[in-house]
Amino acid sequence: MSVATADGLTLAGRDRRFGLLLTAPGLLSLLIVITFPLFFTLYTSVHDYTLLTPNYDTFVGTENYQEALDEEYLPGSLWVTTKFVLASIVIEFIIGFAVALSLHATRRFGSIYYLILLAPLLINPVVVGLLWRMLLHSELGIVNYTIGLVGISPVSWLGDADVAFWTVVLTDIWHQVSFMAILLVAGLAALPREPYEAARMDGASTIRCFIHITLPLMRPVIAVAILLRLIFAIKTFDIIFIMTKGGPGTATDLISYYIYRAAFFGLDVGRASAMAAGLLVIILALTAYLYRYMNSLK
Amino acid sequence: MRLFLSVVAALALAVSAAQAQTIRILMETVPDTRYIQELLPQFEAETGIEVEIEAISYIDMHSKLVPQLIAPEGSYDLIVVDFYWVGEFTKAGWLMPLDDLVERDGVDVDVYVPKLMDLVGRVNGVLYMLPFYNYSMALIYRQDLLDDADEQAAFQEAYGMELRVPQTWDEYWKQVEFFTRDTDGDGNRDLYGTVIQGQRGDCISMQWANYLYSQGGLYHDENWNPLLDSPEAIRAMEYYREAVEKYSPAGSEAYCFDEAFNVMAQGRAYSFVTFNILYAGFEDPESSEVAGKVGITPNPGGGLNGGWGWAIPNSSPNKEAAWTFMKWAESAAVAKERAMLGGAPTQAQIFTDSDVVAARPYYPILGEILAGTKDFPVFTYTTEFVEQVGLELNLAATGEKPVAEAMAAAQEKLHALLVKDGKIEE
Repeated sequence: MSVATADGLTLAGRDRRFGLLLTAPGLLSLLIVITFPLFFTLYTSVHDYTLLTPNYDTFVGTENYQEALDEEYLPGSLWVTTKFVLASIVIEFIIGFAVALSLHATRRFGSIYYLILLAPLLINPVVVGLLWRMLLHSELGIVNYTIGLVGISPVSWLGDADVAFWTVVLTDIWHQVSFMAILLVAGLAALPREPYEAARMDGASTIRCFIHITLPLMRPVIAVAILLRLIFAIKTFDIIFIMTKGGPGTATDLISYYIYRAAFFGLDVGRASAMAAGLLVIILALTAYLYRYMNSLK
Repeated sequence: MRLFLSVVAALALAVSAAQAQTIRILMETVPDTRYIQELLPQFEAETGIEVEIEAISYIDMHSKLVPQLIAPEGSYDLIVVDFYWVGEFTKAGWLMPLDDLVERDGVDVDVYVPKLMDLVGRVNGVLYMLPFYNYSMALIYRQDLLDDADEQAAFQEAYGMELRVPQTWDEYWKQVEFFTRDTDGDGNRDLYGTVIQGQRGDCISMQWANYLYSQGGLYHDENWNPLLDSPEAIRAMEYYREAVEKYSPAGSEAYCFDEAFNVMAQGRAYSFVTFNILYAGFEDPESSEVAGKVGITPNPGGGLNGGWGWAIPNSSPNKEAAWTFMKWAESAAVAKERAMLGGAPTQAQIFTDSDVVAARPYYPILGEILAGTKDFPVFTYTTEFVEQVGLELNLAATGEKPVAEAMAAAQEKLHALLVKDGKIEE
């Protein structure tokens, strides 16, 4: 039964109006900081907008998209980005989960472990890049010195194409793995205790508990953790910019740095916007897929 | 209430008057910026104009400048322009011509080394900048190793020639080979003939230019026809690849000049082809183990010319005060003081000024180095050229692409960019 009020609205209607009123500032700022730049990028991507002629006089349709697709090194950059994202997420997930499980089981000094774990995450990525570039200096770095003490010959961490790729992956993992661990440990803390007690009664081993209880119950949290890291990993820019500039050769040429070069070195903001729009479609598709997967778990 | 309003109005006026007398300058965190900062109190006392210098690292400068230059009124009154932005900035019409101001105030611009005036001064006959400092490239080497009697005898024995400051590329390369060795016998090389700064992009592009000139090569002929697949350019790249493989630390294909500097500063290298402004760092015991042991000489065959110029952007809110500052910084007295502190001069008489030479005896050599330099291609797309060619050079340096193939690709890229800029026909 609905009750009409003085202004002719139902109570539910007034609630909705009040709710809208409360969310309006948030929605409006979202509109300004997200939707506006997004459409501005799309608008730029179909114009011949360069830093030399920064105007929207020339509409070029899909020409910028076509040009981007024809670029010699773009497929390579996409492939390197895919490898980077997969490698960093898979390894971070495995390490992160292991750390989360041990933290969850820890009874003493928990806050000290958290502090140590969180330290890298609190460092600016530019500083992380500079730090590791110095530590990994092939001639003078402390890493090569240390492994030299136990008789391992020096490694060309950033100069060898195959090694350099794993160097930036590992740097990213060092920096970001605790993010994964923290999310997962929060998930573990929220798990109900009853299924474990019941399983114990039936004599299930720790490993069976993990596979048949922890993993299934954790799936929504895992999906969120992976989704967030996926989005961050695709956007990785700083450590590449500081440590390798995409080199040696094209070994670490991630897509975000590729797009940056098109805009700021190539001066072609139109083409860079086209590539950014393409990247957005890819990220949106991945997010939508993961989101639906998460919903299907409920 | 009326009193309150008039106080507010008076304050607002005072604030705007004070703002009119403050200029903002975007600069790079390099020694020459520091010397300006040290001398600033003089300027502020003389003119009453306050100066705010925002010093940031090179990698952030271009992307920070461009939005300010595009805007009708930017936040910088005065800027410094690296030589390879000159084509882009002038083509886009971001810089204010200075000819009228120079004529009005009778500023003598003939004091500058002509090579620098061409690089970071005039463009097509219009004066846009005053040359601020030069970072021409040179050969920095270990004088103590050349002076060592045992080394001299061993070199004579091995190559049948005298060990001395190299005059030709061939002589230099023999020394590079000679000094690459394992000094403590542990099976790993620990003295390198040369250090490569081979990181993709800017670092390798700058250093390789010296290799190109050493072989008598050029980027383009006088009609802008590109020459990067010439036999000289290919030979230059072969030398560079040989250095990476044999004479420079493993991993130096990822070094930029700072990492390479440290190898030399730790006494691990005989020589380093790099920016002349790094020499002061080798001479400083704070940053170098080899202070007092290094010399500097022109790169055999010619080095790369480089420099920065002061410019007033058209978007400058306070052009007159910016010009006052520029005149002060480039006045004979201040230019000399900067050189005494270690600055890299742009005015010809400073290289041989008796006070400067007494404080820094190698300055006449810096003058010689500058005189023998050659220019990088400066056109609208120089920044992109550095990136694109820097990638091909790096691919060849790491051995991922055969030298001839990489140089063919570099040639094609330079050609395409020159066509895009209208310098040459398709």
